[in-house]
Amino acid sequence: MKWRKWNRWLHRELGYLFFGMSIIYGVSGIALNHGVARHWNPGIISRSESFVYPTPLSKSSVDRAVVEEMLKITGERKNYKQYYFPDEEQLMIYLRGGHISVSLPSGDMWVTKVRNRPFFNEVNYLHYNKPKKLWTWFSDLFALGLILMAISGLLLVKGKKGITGRGGIVTIIGVLIPLAFLIIYLWL
Amino acid sequence: MQRVLLLLFSVVILGSCNQATQKDSAESQRSEVEEIVSATIEEVLAQPAEYDGKQVAISGMVTHVCKHGGQKCFVVADDGETQIRIVPSGDIDEFKVDLEGSTVAFKGMFRVMTVVEAEEHIEDHDSQEHHDHEMAHTEAEKADYFIEAVSFKEITQ
Repeated sequence: MKWRKWNRWLHRELGYLFFGMSIIYGVSGIALNHGVARHWNPGIISRSESFVYPTPLSKSSVDRAVVEEMLKITGERKNYKQYYFPDEEQLMIYLRGGHISVSLPSGDMWVTKVRNRPFFNEVNYLHYNKPKKLWTWFSDLFALGLILMAISGLLLVKGKKGITGRGGIVTIIGVLIPLAFLIIYLWL
Repeated sequence: MQRVLLLLFSVVILGSCNQATQKDSAESQRSEVEEIVSATIEEVLAQPAEYDGKQVAISGMVTHVCKHGGQKCFVVADDGETQIRIVPSGDIDEFKVDLEGSTVAFKGMFRVMTVVEAEEHIEDHDSQEHHDHEMAHTEAEKADYFIEAVSFKEITQ
């Protein structure tokens, strides 16, 4: 039938056009999934290194000179921003691109450097629609394309493996799985 | 000639429209300035009901930015202990981690949650994984008050 030929054409062309978008949204989707679940942080990379200050300290004994000494030990003098005491036994020295957390009684210092995670930072930027403006409309177009690809995909094959046969059963399973999660986690 | 006159007429109309727009913008800026209450964090938190729903301007050092999406940050008051939670609003999508350790001036609405909102907030907070131990900003994180920032500016970097 002629409509089947057009359906195949639509499915194929949309697949080509939105290949890049599918990869962007797929990869960032996995990243954001695990970001929400707090398994890892898709946006930033954090690295820590430990140092020790030679003598134990107390809040009252810390002044700018002591902080300068800590910056010298950790090699972070040029990145210094400000410091403050989260509590009586902790000192936090803020740096450009990170911070130094100091346990005053032990003198243990942890330098944590934070930077944007390459690639994921960019794909998440697009997935979250941070650019707004024209990107909103293009990503809407992609979403519409996905719907069309899904529908046209159902009608690609006829016969036993098509939507009236095994394909129909697999489709129903695919619809029931998210429905089951909704019933278990949201509605019950 | 007709074309020249038409062009001149268009320029005059456009010019007057622009002036009217500038005037409107100046008026709205003036009224915006009038509505914003400049206060210290301690002043706001001493009388939360007084400031509830008002546009406030506060400043202080950012002690922590949520690393999962930058949807909140914490600012410490001059006493070095009291902290307040700031959430992004308006055109602000998120707070960048770079803000940590910077002194920042925020403008936005101070809000005190209703009892129901506060209960939901605590429930939501407890359901999520947070830091391994209590942080200096934990109290502000659980607090029923916060500022919805619509703009901010780093004073020191």
